[in-house]
Amino acid sequence: MTVLIHRAEYAGYDFGPEHPFTPARLAMLLDLLQGLGHPATPLAAPAATREDILSIHDEAYVAMVEALDRGEARPEAERFGLGTPDNPIFPGMDLAARWLVGGTLHGARMLMDGADTRVLQLGGGLHHAQKDRAAGFCLYNDLAVAIRAFVDHGWRVAYLDIDLHHGDGVQNLFYDNDRVLTISLHETGHYLYPGTGHIQELGSGPARGLSVNVPLEPFTESDSYLEAFESVVPRVLEEFSPHVLVVQAGADAHFADPLGDLALTTQAFETLYRRILDLAKTHTQGRALFTLGGGYDAQVVARVWAILYLTLMDLPIPEALPVAWLARWKHLLGPEVGRTLHDPVPAFEALPGREERMRRNRDVVGRLQDSLLRYWL
Amino acid sequence: MLVKEMMRRPVTVVPVGATLGEANQILQARGFRHLPVMDQGRLVGVLTDRDIRFATSSLCPEPRSGDDPVSLAMSSPPLTADPLDPVEDAARIMREHKIGCLPVLDGGELVGILTGMDLLDALMSLTGVTKPSSRLEVALVDRPGELARLTALLATRHVNIHSILTYPTPDEAVRTVLRVDSNQIRSLADDLRAAEFNVLWPLPKLRPVQ
Repeated sequence: MTVLIHRAEYAGYDFGPEHPFTPARLAMLLDLLQGLGHPATPLAAPAATREDILSIHDEAYVAMVEALDRGEARPEAERFGLGTPDNPIFPGMDLAARWLVGGTLHGARMLMDGADTRVLQLGGGLHHAQKDRAAGFCLYNDLAVAIRAFVDHGWRVAYLDIDLHHGDGVQNLFYDNDRVLTISLHETGHYLYPGTGHIQELGSGPARGLSVNVPLEPFTESDSYLEAFESVVPRVLEEFSPHVLVVQAGADAHFADPLGDLALTTQAFETLYRRILDLAKTHTQGRALFTLGGGYDAQVVARVWAILYLTLMDLPIPEALPVAWLARWKHLLGPEVGRTLHDPVPAFEALPGREERMRRNRDVVGRLQDSLLRYWL
Repeated sequence: MLVKEMMRRPVTVVPVGATLGEANQILQARGFRHLPVMDQGRLVGVLTDRDIRFATSSLCPEPRSGDDPVSLAMSSPPLTADPLDPVEDAARIMREHKIGCLPVLDGGELVGILTGMDLLDALMSLTGVTKPSSRLEVALVDRPGELARLTALLATRHVNIHSILTYPTPDEAVRTVLRVDSNQIRSLADDLRAAEFNVLWPLPKLRPVQ
């Protein structure tokens, strides 16, 4: 079984109606789970404290978020990545972000107490937030706060990021920490935000070799993605031998996501989730903390994360989407939603150049392995 | 970007009377490949590790020993750069003469040294990513005002530009690569297409099977 963490206050993390990171995504997900006959009964975690946030972020940055939260005008906000199109200022933003961090941190504490082995935080995954600035819709880095708590507890932590985008915030925050392995699979930063996550970023000092990046071609598609995952992830987990796995389970690598082009299907996500649970069983005695993350097409996000939930709860995956749910969320679902939880097969017309992209991804994985071998494989 | 921003200083040098053996020891110990040679505070030549290897090789028409002075193996007079030269000018000199370094002189005084490695640093810094950003690539029509029209559109969207690189292409469009401070690049590309820009990246969104 898996412990679920969520609370209504998560909906307060809202950058406004024009912004893609909308809380409606979570409302649709919870309603879909209900409609599928498996309503989530989540545990409500306390908000993270200011001290929790300061375990990762600079005081000057936190003070800036708090001042903007109170409605104070601060012309220097943009230096902290705040008040930009990606990270607009909104009243209550400090507490809204602390609710999300609190959930992820609470999940970490439950794992450390040994009460449970699997936690799904239905929220968070704010992997772009940096020590001293907001970035890519992320104010406070809930994942990093949780990882810090695990490290302080004496655990070695493996962080696995399957979001479309490179997990730059988490990587940077633990770049020289030999207790933390970060693995990120993402669409290559040659094109996509945040522009990093290249195979040469390997960690520094005692942690050389503990930052692992798998940058993949646009239009990678499921087969090549899963092949790259298998070539890298099991082996580095084996070598690192972590106590716990922290997973940022962004859904934006799906083919219909408006921000990117990794072109995965829901079937690939299900395979990936099952494989990650297997790996946790093998390497961390099943201990795994999952958060959500990016994902910007409402109908896709609801379906992908419903599959995540059902897989983690060891429930069967139903075929059809509930008719009532389709009707209720019609205004957000758009014209492209089907009638099934999984994508149709095939989900999209064959993309030309598939073999070439697969070969390029294999080359990148090969170069990454050559570099890692020098350090520890 | 100027030479003075990318050059290294202080510079390790040898006097013109030093021996090849002494110079070799400095290069080995410090991991350098280039040594400016000085005579009474004045730059008179550059000695490279390759100069030493060839001068002391049996294949050299007049083989030297480690006890001979560096003046018998150095290049002289050396080509130099000014600290206020743009790095691309320094790069052009190094490329045309196929040399690995330029001592930097300010009014006759040696103030730094620029090597091929420093030019690689310059390239990384010019094209690299120092802040989170997305890539936007546009083929601009080669006429006045097109770049201004592009940046004006980004300004109305309040999108900050971290870097712009432009370079000519054979089809006479000006390839323009921008790194912009936003994760929401597809909608930006859609707006640019609506304003009749030829956006090369990102591509329009893939549509699923209906």
